[in-house]
Amino acid sequence: MDTGTAYGMRHGAPLYELAQVGPGTPYGEVLRRYWQPVAKVEDATTRPISVRVLGEELILFRTRRGAAGLLHPRCIHRGASLFYGGVEEEGIRCCYHGWVFDTEGHCLEQPCEPDLGLHRDRVRQPWYPVQEQYGLIWAYLGPPDRKPVLPRYDTFEDLADDEVLIVNDEGVGGGGPAVLDFNWLQHWENVMDPFHVPILHARFSGNQFTPEMALIPEVSYEYTPTGVRSIQMRDLGDGRQLRRVTEVMFPNLRVVASPKLASGQTNMIGWVVPMDDTSFRIFTIARDSDREFLAKLRSTHEGRPWKDLDALDHQRLPGDYEAQKSQGDISLHSEDHLTTTDQGIAMVRRMMAKQSRLVADGGDPAGVVYEQGDALVRIEGGNYFEGAPEAPLLAAAVED
Amino acid sequence: MAAYEPRPPRGDRPLAVLGISDVVVIETSPAVPVSTHHVSAWGRWARDVAIPDAAREAIAQLARRYEIVWASEWGHNAHTAFADALGLPAEPWAFLPVQFDKGPRIRSYAAGLPWVWIDGDVVDLHEPDPREDGLIVRVDPAWGIAGVDLAAVDAEMDALIARRSTAPQPV
Repeated sequence: MDTGTAYGMRHGAPLYELAQVGPGTPYGEVLRRYWQPVAKVEDATTRPISVRVLGEELILFRTRRGAAGLLHPRCIHRGASLFYGGVEEEGIRCCYHGWVFDTEGHCLEQPCEPDLGLHRDRVRQPWYPVQEQYGLIWAYLGPPDRKPVLPRYDTFEDLADDEVLIVNDEGVGGGGPAVLDFNWLQHWENVMDPFHVPILHARFSGNQFTPEMALIPEVSYEYTPTGVRSIQMRDLGDGRQLRRVTEVMFPNLRVVASPKLASGQTNMIGWVVPMDDTSFRIFTIARDSDREFLAKLRSTHEGRPWKDLDALDHQRLPGDYEAQKSQGDISLHSEDHLTTTDQGIAMVRRMMAKQSRLVADGGDPAGVVYEQGDALVRIEGGNYFEGAPEAPLLAAAVED
Repeated sequence: MAAYEPRPPRGDRPLAVLGISDVVVIETSPAVPVSTHHVSAWGRWARDVAIPDAAREAIAQLARRYEIVWASEWGHNAHTAFADALGLPAEPWAFLPVQFDKGPRIRSYAAGLPWVWIDGDVVDLHEPDPREDGLIVRVDPAWGIAGVDLAAVDAEMDALIARRSTAPQPV
């Protein structure tokens, strides 16, 4: 008799407590305790745009005086969307009856009312605070009394004369489109899965990065005060060892050094920002002297970018997008068989559960700080070569 | 059989189902003496973990009465990774590869045997459903298994077994 057939199999379920991001969900409340990037600074203009973040639809605009604002779209007067609003010196005017709101939701004018609104100071358009830093607009969607300071990162401080900050919201690291159409956690926990690299990105699809990354590493994992870290050792066979340090930092940062193995501390950080439960964006900041650094970093498939692949290519040369999207819109985590090399995944999920519990109990999640003096974050991730320094990278040797 | 099917229990004694994190491994500032152990299983990965010095004896004491079953995200690594640090027997104890909300898997595995489940409460994404077939012991994460009163566990298990023996049996 056949055994183990699919007949009658029962499906598992997602870990919704970790995967969902909307208001009131356990991890959604964790995410809301941190500043989140929502757009590039140049995206905030006098033309309002819709931004979807953590399951909330919001309107981003910039007043003619230059202040960015992020408001709930539905006008508190009678519900018309501020997407159709007109931006003025101090705020945005609703298209329907002309109520004007500033970037903090104060109602400045109700033009059809006596004296422009006798009680306009008694109403407020729901809003979120924003700040601009490193070329991104950051929003805080959490409880006002727990608003932390906006962190700074040593990676992006003290630029050399020839360096610039490069900002990208096109899904660097996602291996697919700019808006990734599945649950964000599938991507984020992949950061702590170094063992997929030599399989998916090398043996299966050809070397999508460098020959060194095709080597199966020896990995040690550790919790840090702000996340989980993997330290991957690869013996390059020429007297050198590659020590590659990758981190997830809470609540959704990916600290992944260039898989093309630029040496030293990573020059980039990504934020995996859920738009909702089944889509997300990756905002990446890098410092480099080459403005095209992030664009050049995108993995290729037999030398071609993902967007140029046809259906057969996607099947024949899968990358991160194909693997993670195919896990489902939201993966059925309870069906996972975590095993020897999944320590990092298990640690991320466990630390997420801890943060959810902390927040639910009224505490502060990992890494949240309230004092400006504590705002600078030290980044440890990077590629570190140990051993004979004169030996070229395998990649260089291959190219030679 | 899409899900892993663990080796069935021997059936001649109650089960002691143990988590690893918060139970054997202390992840917070410890309130008891701990030692750092470099653990791995079959290579390729390693972790340095803090294990209460009293864990070895506590687990040995449990093993004298109960059949030990690991129920954790450590999966089949659990026994091998901690064998040296805890002085475990060469033949691995059974394991349930489950990280959160472990109750249903434990009850299904026990299949009517009395059980005690010792774990940290982080694994409870939902409140465990109290039942009459087993005991749930939640550890203090700073103490781990070193903070569990094993004599009290034994007494509660005795009471559980006594209740079950006097309960009306299904016809």
